[in-house]
Amino acid sequence: MTGADGFSREAQRYLDGEPAGELEPGERAVAERLVAEARAYGVRLRPMPAALDDAVMEAVRRRAPAGARGPVPWLLAPRTVRVRPIWFPVLAAAAALVLWLAPRRPAPVPSVAVAAAGVPDTVFVHFELAAPRARSVSVAGSFNGWRTDALAMTRGPGGVWSVTAPLAVGEHHYDFVVDGTHWVPDPTAHRQVDDGFGGRNSVIVVGPKGLVRS
Amino acid sequence: MNGIRVLLVAAPLLAAAAPAAAQQADVRARLEARGLPAQLSERVAALAASAAEHGVPAGPLADKAIEGWAKHVPDARILTAVRAFADRMAVAADAVRAGGLGSPPGSVVAAAAEAMGGGLGADQVRAIVRASPSPVAAGPGLSVVAALTAQGLASSQAVAIVVGAMHSRRSVADLLDLPSVARALRDQGLSNTQVGQHILDGDGNGRDGGRGGEHPMGGIPRGDDGGGHDRASGPPQLTRSLVRGS
Amino acid sequence: MLSGDVEAYRLLVERYRSEFARYAQAAVGDADAAQDAMQEAFIRAFDALETCREPDRFGAWFFRILTNQCRNVVARRRARVPLDDVDVAGADRADASLERGELAEALDAALARLTPEQREAFVMKHVEGRSYEEMASLLGVGVDALKMRVHRARDAMRAMMGAMR
Repeated sequence: MTGADGFSREAQRYLDGEPAGELEPGERAVAERLVAEARAYGVRLRPMPAALDDAVMEAVRRRAPAGARGPVPWLLAPRTVRVRPIWFPVLAAAAALVLWLAPRRPAPVPSVAVAAAGVPDTVFVHFELAAPRARSVSVAGSFNGWRTDALAMTRGPGGVWSVTAPLAVGEHHYDFVVDGTHWVPDPTAHRQVDDGFGGRNSVIVVGPKGLVRS
Repeated sequence: MNGIRVLLVAAPLLAAAAPAAAQQADVRARLEARGLPAQLSERVAALAASAAEHGVPAGPLADKAIEGWAKHVPDARILTAVRAFADRMAVAADAVRAGGLGSPPGSVVAAAAEAMGGGLGADQVRAIVRASPSPVAAGPGLSVVAALTAQGLASSQAVAIVVGAMHSRRSVADLLDLPSVARALRDQGLSNTQVGQHILDGDGNGRDGGRGGEHPMGGIPRGDDGGGHDRASGPPQLTRSLVRGS
Repeated sequence: MLSGDVEAYRLLVERYRSEFARYAQAAVGDADAAQDAMQEAFIRAFDALETCREPDRFGAWFFRILTNQCRNVVARRRARVPLDDVDVAGADRADASLERGELAEALDAALARLTPEQREAFVMKHVEGRSYEEMASLLGVGVDALKMRVHRARDAMRAMMGAMR
């Protein structure tokens, strides 16, 4: 579509960041202007207040009384996977490595109708801490505003506390909080870093496959 | 409609730079909503605003203030830590820009600062940024290098692994799995050097995975209680298992 | 805290409220109404959690719910204020100094005239700055179809916002 009512094919390609031929006279300026104004508009949009989270949580708590089954278990443990014993010998480092390393040939260009493959955005991370004498343990980190009461762990056999949480793929900083006041790092994390306040934070880097723990 | 018509043509470009005052107010609002007192919030927001002039992202500074508040750290100490973090990020921003990213995303600057705090040099940061297929991929690349070095791999090896992975167009998701892969290998008894070498060698060989384009699924033992996905279709694949100290 | 389980949902709420706030506001055209849409979307998502078949793509799944809520909100607002009555930075203000608010209104008004698909696509591409691959992953629509929507949206925006000369 060309003319005063639309952009030329070349202009559209240009705007899509693709190699383009010559644009019509003056079209480049209009195109860039539209893009710039839209971007400026976006920059001016303000974040939504955190109070919205409170309102949502208030509403969903009413829907999920303590001890209820139903959707709530989904949050902490997606469908379990049956272990197939035949694969145990194969779960050796070398095999795991080979699978990870298998270079991917680029797939043939998908047809127009095929939707793009979904990229995982959420990974369920399992946190664990052996603390038999603790009365409460929670996880506080970059993913929950360092709130000490937001992600409570459950005590299991042997005094091992645990919780599984839906986190974004990527890097996270956190600590365990014991009895509401004791900040304890996670010895199984990928890194420990100086928190800048005289303490240490644990750091994990998670891809969609999740975390390995020994 | 004439009113609108004029705008696109004649108006000076609106807010070419981010509206600094609005962003400062946002930081302040976010901190106050989290419970920080007004004066502290104001001072942190002001710090963030001046740091922004050097390309330092405000988000991580606000996060650091919130962290300090949650840890019951005195206000003065919080401000010191935020200032120190801003300084580190300014240095990191320079390194990232030197790698070719003119206005780097905040996440990349923060990741570079964390990685340099772990000992990564500016030249290594540049190498990773240059190798990144897109600006946002640099952040995960930097995080992964930091995590690999923290687990004992030589930083040169870690950088080579990540740069190699980026050059072979691995997805960001694959990159992020690397620290866990390295951990799994070490748990199975390989030394740090062996871990690094295995990963490096494998990527360089161009060994045909045989399945042209598919993602290897599963395969990494996870110590959790069964979280994961049963992919009904596709080639035979490793399922996750509960591996405790085995 | 009644149950640790429910509280885990907050992790998702906090993350996606941040990530999709700009989208919702630009798709709806009003900050308050966008917040209503966002809040409603989170509650509906919670109620429907069991139907999410790919938990590791919660974000994309939630985004579809949010998009629907945004459309609902837009439709409800439109029923109250018909599009033709919207003051589109009227001709008599053309000579006034162009303030931030006015241009935002103009862009909002132009966006409001797009079809929902075009508006969503334009917002994701140019207001949020997402790549086509990201958009495809979030919307579950192919890149080619998305390009078509974005192209048409650009054409319409150009037509509404004036030609260069």
